[in-house]
Amino acid sequence: MATDRIVERRRVFVQYKEDVKERGKPFYPYAMWHDTIMSLVVVAVIIGLAIVWKYTTPGNHHTEAAGWLGKLYDAPADPGTINFVPRPDWYFYFLFYLLRIFKWPNTVLLGTIGIPTICLALLIAMPFIDLRAERRVLRRPVAIIAAILVILSMGVLTYKGATAKEALGTELIAKVPTWAKDEGFTNNKQAVAGAKLFAVAGCLNCHTYNSIGGGFAGAPDLTAEGAKNKGIAFEIAHLKCPACVNPGSPMPSFAGLGDARLKQLATFLDASKGKK
Amino acid sequence: MATKPLTKSEQIQQTILYPLDWLEERSGLVGGVKYFLFRKVPGDTNWFQTLGAATLTAFLVQALTGSILAMYYKPDPNEAYSSIQHITNDIFAGWLVRGMHKWGASVFIILMFMHMGRVFLFGAYKYPRELNWILGVLLLAMGLGEGFTGYLLPWDQTAYWATVVGININGTAPFLGPFLAQFLQGGTYINADTLSRFYAIHMLMIPGAIFALIGLHLYLVVRLGVTSPPWSKEAAGTGPLDGAASKNGRRRAGMLRPGPRRKR
Repeated sequence: MATDRIVERRRVFVQYKEDVKERGKPFYPYAMWHDTIMSLVVVAVIIGLAIVWKYTTPGNHHTEAAGWLGKLYDAPADPGTINFVPRPDWYFYFLFYLLRIFKWPNTVLLGTIGIPTICLALLIAMPFIDLRAERRVLRRPVAIIAAILVILSMGVLTYKGATAKEALGTELIAKVPTWAKDEGFTNNKQAVAGAKLFAVAGCLNCHTYNSIGGGFAGAPDLTAEGAKNKGIAFEIAHLKCPACVNPGSPMPSFAGLGDARLKQLATFLDASKGKK
Repeated sequence: MATKPLTKSEQIQQTILYPLDWLEERSGLVGGVKYFLFRKVPGDTNWFQTLGAATLTAFLVQALTGSILAMYYKPDPNEAYSSIQHITNDIFAGWLVRGMHKWGASVFIILMFMHMGRVFLFGAYKYPRELNWILGVLLLAMGLGEGFTGYLLPWDQTAYWATVVGININGTAPFLGPFLAQFLQGGTYINADTLSRFYAIHMLMIPGAIFALIGLHLYLVVRLGVTSPPWSKEAAGTGPLDGAASKNGRRRAGMLRPGPRRKR
């Protein structure tokens, strides 16, 4: 009976309070002493990591050379880079890898938002799922097995994320020759360069092209964009400021890519006359 | 009633204690601190139960080193990277402060997970501590938010592109996603405002929330008491101080044995 359980757990808690009051030890100095030692260890470890990080870095510290704990700096941010390797801090590797497991376009939402949201909700709801008063480890087999599975899967995902080599965009770059063949722009060097840029610059997060891509936020399919004969100049203007050309467009500006790359991208779009 | 004149040592004692008495009379803080320090905890609390304090320490290290970094860091795309180089190479012990902040972040995250694992293993999230578990989960989420927003601030290649991907992930969420992405970016794409926005979130909004949540978290720890380890024979545990208890033969089943109370 639920009410019995409520009465019982209240009684047990009152008893716990009595027991602690009667026979517990004061926080100061006993527990506080342990806490203080542990805190000092934490500070020492942090300082130690900082020292190892700095003093194992070779060179004059202005270089990008890596020590035992990695580089002091990476190269400065360049929004126009192509072929980037997006890599979060290590404690996000599990999320990063989830993003890679689930492929466009149908299940990516599950990997990025679905599973983390479900996990967070389960974590918050845990005290209301596990209502038993039992606390001994060996008598909570379900909880312990669930915990071990969670730790293992987080560990595996983190490891896979840490060792994942290629950038998200490189899988797409591999498709560029197919695109060029299908659309017939293999001999147009500008268009091929633009296609590579298109693959890595995140366009396919929203747009679709040759049956792959996000199809998100109402972004149109670009497979036959060139067949609309809007011209390279229009495409460049649109990439620079989508909302100026097409009022209300949610598409971000890609002006940061720079004129030369925008020209390549626009040539690629203009050369995409649809699958032959 | 005539009061006895005070002896010299009593006079000295009163003089020394006067500021404390003054504070206590006006705030009750001295009594509060005394209550905090001398409250009883189960006799067999152990090293695993120092992980919470360790996490708090790691957070305080982050708060302190972060405040120092904020004195030199410039949240502007043209200056952020060079200000980080300036901190690392030119400022006295700047590398140490930056290194402690960078590596302290990982230590903080690891300790949060370990503390959570301990609470799970000890079953310490159970009645009546459910609310404190929820506060802890929120703190974990806030901590990860600090990790995400702080990662952009050096404005280097890894930082920039990881954030592009991170914001794209947020952007794919149904309904709120695009708004969240736009809010984080301060526009429709990553720009100069994104950096100062991440900076404000990283050093004002989330840390403020974390301080408040830690306050509530600790309040509930003090109010509800520390859980004894699950292998403890008694609710209060068997510590060095409970010899008196076993002398009169009172060994009571605690939270571990929720069955009907046994007759003694």
